[in-house]
Amino acid sequence: MSLLDVRNLEVTYADGSAAVRGVDVSLEAGGKLGIAGESGCGKSTLALALLRLLPAGTRVGGEILLDGEDVLAMKWGRVRAVRWAGASIVFQGAMHSLNAVHRVGDQIAEPILLHRKATAAGARTRAGELLEQVGLPAAHARAYPHELSGGQRQRVMIAMALACDPRLIIADEPTTALDVMIQAQILRLIAGLVTEQDLALVMISHDLSVLADTCDRLAVMYAGRIVEEGPARQVFDDSRHPYGKALSGAFPRIGDPASRFAPRGLPGDPPDPAAVPTGCAFHPRCPVALESCSVDDQRLREAGAGRRAACVHVPEAAASPSAVPEPEASPHPGPGAGTDGAGIPVPGPAPSSDATGALGKPASAPPPLLSAEGLHVSFPGRHGGDTARAVDGVDLDLRAGEIVALVGESGCGKTTLARSLLGLLPPTAGRVTFDGRPLDYSSGALRTYRKRVQLVLQDPSGSLNPRHTVYDAVAEGLRIHRYGGDERAAVAEALSRAGLRPAERFFQRYPHELSGGQRQRVVIAGALVLEPKLLVADEPVASLDASVRGEILALLLRLRDELDLSALVVTHDLGLAWNIADRVAVMYLGRIVETGSVEQVLSAPRHPYTQALLSVLPDAPGEPVVLAGEPPDPSRISAGCRFHARCPVLASGEAERAGVADACLTRDPEILGGGGEEQAACHYAATSSTSNPSELIR
Amino acid sequence: MSSVQQAVVPAPAAAAPRRTAKGWAYLRYGAGKVGGAVISLLAVLVTGFFLFRLIPGDPVKTMTGGRPVSAGQLAAYRREFGLDLPMWQQFTDYCGKALTGDLGTSYQFRAPVLDKIAEALPNTLLLTGTAFVLYTALGIVLGTRAAWRHDRLGDRLSTGLALTLYSVPSFWLGLLLIIVFSVGVGPIPGLFPTGGMESGGEEGFAYVLDVAHHLVLPVITLVAVEYGQTLLVTRSALLDEMASDYLTTARAKGLRDDLVRRRHAVPNALLPTVTLIFVNLGRTVAGVILVETVFSWPGLGGLFYQALSVPDLPLVQGLFFVFATAVIVMNTLADLVYPLLDPRVGR
Repeated sequence: MSLLDVRNLEVTYADGSAAVRGVDVSLEAGGKLGIAGESGCGKSTLALALLRLLPAGTRVGGEILLDGEDVLAMKWGRVRAVRWAGASIVFQGAMHSLNAVHRVGDQIAEPILLHRKATAAGARTRAGELLEQVGLPAAHARAYPHELSGGQRQRVMIAMALACDPRLIIADEPTTALDVMIQAQILRLIAGLVTEQDLALVMISHDLSVLADTCDRLAVMYAGRIVEEGPARQVFDDSRHPYGKALSGAFPRIGDPASRFAPRGLPGDPPDPAAVPTGCAFHPRCPVALESCSVDDQRLREAGAGRRAACVHVPEAAASPSAVPEPEASPHPGPGAGTDGAGIPVPGPAPSSDATGALGKPASAPPPLLSAEGLHVSFPGRHGGDTARAVDGVDLDLRAGEIVALVGESGCGKTTLARSLLGLLPPTAGRVTFDGRPLDYSSGALRTYRKRVQLVLQDPSGSLNPRHTVYDAVAEGLRIHRYGGDERAAVAEALSRAGLRPAERFFQRYPHELSGGQRQRVVIAGALVLEPKLLVADEPVASLDASVRGEILALLLRLRDELDLSALVVTHDLGLAWNIADRVAVMYLGRIVETGSVEQVLSAPRHPYTQALLSVLPDAPGEPVVLAGEPPDPSRISAGCRFHARCPVLASGEAERAGVADACLTRDPEILGGGGEEQAACHYAATSSTSNPSELIR
Repeated sequence: MSSVQQAVVPAPAAAAPRRTAKGWAYLRYGAGKVGGAVISLLAVLVTGFFLFRLIPGDPVKTMTGGRPVSAGQLAAYRREFGLDLPMWQQFTDYCGKALTGDLGTSYQFRAPVLDKIAEALPNTLLLTGTAFVLYTALGIVLGTRAAWRHDRLGDRLSTGLALTLYSVPSFWLGLLLIIVFSVGVGPIPGLFPTGGMESGGEEGFAYVLDVAHHLVLPVITLVAVEYGQTLLVTRSALLDEMASDYLTTARAKGLRDDLVRRRHAVPNALLPTVTLIFVNLGRTVAGVILVETVFSWPGLGGLFYQALSVPDLPLVQGLFFVFATAVIVMNTLADLVYPLLDPRVGR
């Protein structure tokens, strides 16, 4: 008997939207099932339905057999007994999932006291043990959630989930919004605990690569249905459904020339659950849809050994592995069809001039457009604490028409650096030059400067004023700078450049009427309208679905080609650099530790930090090097190399054998030049000419 | 296990709570708040003096109103009250006395202002304190209920009634209650006294009952007018919290619905209400001028009304200072208590 057996589950919210429309899923004890899909496809609804946590008024049909007992048929008392003791949940974003006014120890102890016959002292001891099990000191039980970092809070959530020894853990986007390194730590922790305690895991994520890495089986959801299911690796590498193909294709595979300068997305948005298209729900976005797809609904059917898919192309697929026709590589089916999706054709591989241009540039380097020299930005410590050196000596050049990715974990100073380059934060020392002239911090000069250098922020819902129409949001920059020309024409032009066509149809819309991708396009249009020379984009796609992500990155690439726009893209995502950047700069604790062309740095990293970052990507080959802990505090930068405390090369004794261990502990590596040449701020890398990452680490 | 533990060596205990550091931070925070309050009080002292001198009317003429008085007598009164001195000298006298705890002598009662205030203060506290406890409790309980079952009929009725009463002028409601329940309308006999605090002549327990009898109508008036604010603030704060993920976590743990509410939702939702409670507590001392006047309650509000009509400058200034002090002290207390309730604030 399966541990979890979901049969024909249907969920309809009180407003009539059908979030889940007939899902069958089963999971053996100890099995690991991944559920993937874009936001709005019903995967979180499914998770909440498993423990009947949906709001009152929601209609739920079908059966959810947990250990053979139907959760939907249970009395409420029984449901409460099963919650957490039978199955527990690790929610996304542990900041909000923990109660801010209770100590984390008490929150872990709470279900123990509720479900087990435990004394308060016993529960407290157990909470301490659980914290140690997830790699936190037991003393953290006395901390409040806000005193912990994002990764630590997620560990607390996991400790809490383990509290009553459930047989099933449901993890809903457990690593979304965490840094790459922390994500790797948490995934490793979950995988280890699940294996060790023989738990079953249902993991929900929009990130197919994470699921493929962690789970045995993978189910892809679209519009409230499972459209594909099978062994996780196979589904990720060789999907039998055009939607699965598009989702897995949206993940950049670093080192794969096919995705270099070719971010892939999926035009359009998932359907509104209140108005699901007829026939196959995916047909409006499907690149290989047939005429009949708008009429004939597709059900899951066999698609190879242990695999099922719901696609009209599948009967043939069962015979030959790749029978789902590849979408034609037609790069441009003409400017956007003007649909709501603002479907921007994703360009094929960029003209080869771009790819080679990046490499060719350092040789005949034109003067940089924007340049930072010896830039320092410090913040005074709170209550007389130590000064935080957020940016601690950075040289960085950006040439016209160049896209540079600034990569690092949160807290490494990348956002501070970007703000300082924009003139939002005056540097403590060093200087910024634009077009050969040092930045003038008088308010008039800054205004002129900001007309030429525009900012795009991470969260388009937060950076757009909800009471401004799209037109006002885009025209605001023009008004601030007292634009003399035809405002309407300029706004329309910027919107269509950003892929919102026909622009007039968007003028009177409000941000809440747009999808996440469309909102980010509005933000970009607002930046473009002033015809800047340079865009500084701070995590421009971090809050977007993978499918939308590719679309926005393609837009940035196209803008570079069409307008010769330069961009500095601040990100924690190395794949993004592979997708669109010419050069990459890896930042750690206020300093750039490695820089060079994307091909060089990402294919043959020389700094152990870059190597570690690359090795923990879910899709990376070889053994992952998970660095312990979190980036240290910029108010306590250690002497010597700032990375030495976490450096795997130093820890393994390799640096000692190469005779540089002393230097690592005492000498700060030199500040890297801002130009394009490949450099690494590492004593060890300087001694060895080899750049084989696996050799360096093992 | 070992593999897992190795992989996840804990971060350097950066976030480990540091008790003493926190204690110091709180002391520094508290000292700042108290310092700010002292400065506000000094500002009130100064404002009070000049503010009431802008009131039209001559206190000496009002007090001697109707009686034949000679210019010499008026001058004598002026000299007695210090009104013949130049303004700056009156001001320095007032400040100097105030700093030694002397708020001057009332013109009309010929008694120290402090004595008059001390006499009326307990009466006011009895009335408004009783009302405060009732309307705060009522507001929180009904507000929590309304939010937890929001948009149902019960919520609509309860919130609607609260809003209506909240917008009713207190003196009008008081007069209405007097007409219906004191004077009596049609078949309804007058059940409660029309005003005052006691009938006189009662002793011991009978006295207590008599005062309680007098309390009923003014307290009802106050509670009816005031509970709506607490209800609305509590309701909207709880509604904000109800969408929070940590409540889903609490439900997923298997807690009963009322435990989710009591243990998780309400403590978070009450945080904004705490500030309101302290502000109301401050206003408690200020009394309620309109209600005390309507019910002839011998409290600070009634006293203020009498003092204003003269204007009895020392008494008005003194009362103003006491009212302001109460509000400032309570606000400062709210600032001091808040970080103890919400661990995120005050560092």
